[in-house]
Amino acid sequence: MRSIAWHWRNNPKRELWLAWYATVVFYNIFFIVFFPVTHAQPPPHPGWSDAQVAYWFARSHGGLLAGFAIMFAIAGLTAPQNALIAYSMRRMSVSRAFAYSYLVMYSLSALPGMLLLCVVLSVGALRPGRDPAQLHWLYDFGFLSFTGTMGIFLIGSLVWMLAILLDKNRVMPKWFGYLNLCNALTEVVVAPAWIFRTGVLTWNGLISWWINIAVFGIYTGAFIMQLRNLILREDFGDGPLPSLAEATR
Amino acid sequence: MTANTGKPARAIPGQPDMWVLVLFEALVFTAYFAVYLFHRSAHSELFLRSQARLDPRFGTLNTLLMLTSSLFMLRCVQASRAGAIRAAMTSALITGLLGTAFGVSKITEWIRLVHGGSGFTSNEFFEYYFFLTGIHFLHLLIGFVAIGVIACQLRRRERRSQEVVETCATYWHTVDLLWVLIFSLLTW
Repeated sequence: MRSIAWHWRNNPKRELWLAWYATVVFYNIFFIVFFPVTHAQPPPHPGWSDAQVAYWFARSHGGLLAGFAIMFAIAGLTAPQNALIAYSMRRMSVSRAFAYSYLVMYSLSALPGMLLLCVVLSVGALRPGRDPAQLHWLYDFGFLSFTGTMGIFLIGSLVWMLAILLDKNRVMPKWFGYLNLCNALTEVVVAPAWIFRTGVLTWNGLISWWINIAVFGIYTGAFIMQLRNLILREDFGDGPLPSLAEATR
Repeated sequence: MTANTGKPARAIPGQPDMWVLVLFEALVFTAYFAVYLFHRSAHSELFLRSQARLDPRFGTLNTLLMLTSSLFMLRCVQASRAGAIRAAMTSALITGLLGTAFGVSKITEWIRLVHGGSGFTSNEFFEYYFFLTGIHFLHLLIGFVAIGVIACQLRRRERRSQEVVETCATYWHTVDLLWVLIFSLLTW
């Protein structure tokens, strides 16, 4: 406790660590809420009938309400995460436009990429007596907005990739820049979820969801570790790196 | 300690970091191919019947275009290493033209298939066909950016980074390799 209190008062990186821990806490809670609590992930079948969807809402009623109440409370934790990623770009030798565009894009993409699903499924769960056809509409709207709009994360990933590859300050390793490209390419793969109701390209399909979530899991783990390394290496120095200054002399 | 044999040390072409992308993409595509093969074995009759609707001339032409483009990319890297900038630039340009020809041929094939009643949603085979060729097409578009980066590097002459040229070439060869695998899987 004394160590924590000392760091809270004296550690110059405390804001960065707070943002990093906010990221770790967010993803842990996100996983618990979306997988075991609400059963919103892995997504249920897109080809269900009205009656099956109504049954799913009834069965998941408590979990949906409790889980998404937690998500609404902690959704703001995505802000320090985005800020930390933008900070990583501000430490790079690239234009500020990269950090700002990433920040705007990822802040906006949280709406269709997460909050819409929470709102829509909560609406369905809060009015269990609704016409099953209306519940089905909410179900389709929620899961299509969640899975089918992953493409909006594509440009954000490409912005971070470009910043890393152009950077001369070596803030992030180049392989992580290329991993951003891999992640961006798999974001495209979910787009056919709008078209198919059966098969591997549906919103719960083997390709659109299972392979994608594996890539996203690896990518998320990698970026959390890279942000941790960034904070550990942060010296708040300014100007070009000594090796670069030497080279240009 | 390694004994000095007098031979030059073998270096990985381009940035070693690019090989992370190559290996990761190889893993992702292996997963796609595994899913495809699993469903193909379950519905072999449908898949064989649908494959017969593909025009083999397009597949063969596309493979030849892709392999030739890789050859010219190799010549570009070799010329760049030797400092023959004009030859390297010519090879990069030809690579880009062959890639464009591949893209045009692919789009033509897609249009013909759709007009012939074999669209993305026609059956399970064409779902895979359009998905795999579509995602490869996306890789091809990024490959054009890589060729653009090579052209910019070659124009810089004195400040040219051979490592960046080889990194971009590695990406182009990956696009080629993926096509050969997709072609083999979808045609046979």
